[in-house]
Amino acid sequence: MVKEIERAGIPVVHIATVVPIALTVGANRIVPAIGIPYPLGDPSLGDEGEKNIRRDLVERALKALGTPIKGQTVFDDAYEF
Amino acid sequence: MKLEIGNIFIKDVQLGQETMINEGLLTINPELLAAKILEDERIKSARVELAKPGESVRITPVKDVMEPRVKVFGKGTVFPGVAANKVEQVGEGRTHVLKGTAVMTVGKIVGFQEGIVDMSGIGAEYTPFSKTLNICLVLEPMEGVETHAYETAAREAGLKVTQIIGEVGRNMTPDEVISYEHHPIPHLAAAYPHLPKIGYVCMLQSQGLLHDTYVYGVDAKKIIPTLMSPTEFMDGAVVSGNCVASCDKIPTYLHQNDPLIEDLYSKHGKELNFMGVIITNENVFMADKERSSDGVAKLAKMMGLDGVIISEEGYGNPDTDLMMNCRKVEAQGIKTVLVTDEFPGKDGKSESLTDAVKEADAVVSCGQGNLVITMPPMERLIGTLEDIETMIGGYEGSLKKDGSIEAEIQIIISATSAIGGNKLAARMY
Repeated sequence: MVKEIERAGIPVVHIATVVPIALTVGANRIVPAIGIPYPLGDPSLGDEGEKNIRRDLVERALKALGTPIKGQTVFDDAYEF
Repeated sequence: MKLEIGNIFIKDVQLGQETMINEGLLTINPELLAAKILEDERIKSARVELAKPGESVRITPVKDVMEPRVKVFGKGTVFPGVAANKVEQVGEGRTHVLKGTAVMTVGKIVGFQEGIVDMSGIGAEYTPFSKTLNICLVLEPMEGVETHAYETAAREAGLKVTQIIGEVGRNMTPDEVISYEHHPIPHLAAAYPHLPKIGYVCMLQSQGLLHDTYVYGVDAKKIIPTLMSPTEFMDGAVVSGNCVASCDKIPTYLHQNDPLIEDLYSKHGKELNFMGVIITNENVFMADKERSSDGVAKLAKMMGLDGVIISEEGYGNPDTDLMMNCRKVEAQGIKTVLVTDEFPGKDGKSESLTDAVKEADAVVSCGQGNLVITMPPMERLIGTLEDIETMIGGYEGSLKKDGSIEAEIQIIISATSAIGGNKLAARMY
């Protein structure tokens, strides 16, 4: 899906639990998600904690969408916008 | 470490009063075994049924398969650390095996991730457990017991009964005794300096949510990669707790009889130098995948290996663990061969694996799980057909009016399990 949408000229951010698979299939902008059982949350953190995770991930994804890139890029914690 | 495996060839099995072996005929007492299972308050009913090779019998839903064994000399018991067994190092001494038999736990746990064993017809061709004399434990949970608690109960019931049956072999004289030795690493390295030093990386299913494997009773998702003697597997140190797609399930039986360990031993000192087994897991968080694959590569290097064989259980995200292990081991200058199975879709047009790296240039395929076959109706059913159409490999319309089943071979226990043990393979043309 990521590749087909990009083929239509629309940039895509892939929020991915397993980053190597996103890289293998050819996603260009990748934001690592939390993990396979709960990609965009963490039940141990409660509602407020989960909301914060989601907000952080969405904001990171939006920033990634507006960031020019030269090749496949993983926007993880170490990435400096 | 030296382990003698004493095989007692069992030619037939029957139900009776006394549990005994007489000239290859195993007799078991079904009431006694059922009573033992029902000591667990989580289990409502337990019934023992037999299924033999060639019979018109369908067994489903099958959860696990185990081989009856008993430790005769040496420390510990089989299945250490689980089902109320003490945790004690195994893999040395002597173990007797009721060769030709298997214990199967049957009955719905999650339904969609249990499978079928047919004892005859085309379906029987795809599973190693159509060739064993099967002692089936048909179980039902008590109302209100949570699925994960019942999975534990069913797993423990299977292990307990397998041990009780194995016990009958304690004082028998085996028909054959095979000796397996595992020497300290420096001795091994010195013994065959001209042969390549080969290790086996055994990836254990540990995704959680009933996709678990236990090592000396430890949930494998909590381990970091470690070194094992191959003989520990033969004594049941690794136990399946899995509800995964049936075809690539590695039941406890296949851990006890790991075909890769068997083959590596058979070539040891001749074509290669078998240095030992590294176990690792397949967890669902990237940090775990990174840590575990780092650990595998580190151990392979510390062992001074020239090459490793890496097996896998399951498919999908574990393909990434397989590839990360491959890439990181190769980065140490150690060659890898991967053993896996494939899921290219019914039309064969999809990618066979979810992930791939360029270092993965030597891969053994144990077949593809999307092949559709039609299994003929069977005269006798052990278990229930209720879940056929929702099992992985099944679909709406799979169960025909005449009792035949059209489904992908994913639905058959261990049809493509990625440590071998089945007949499927792939060839390049």
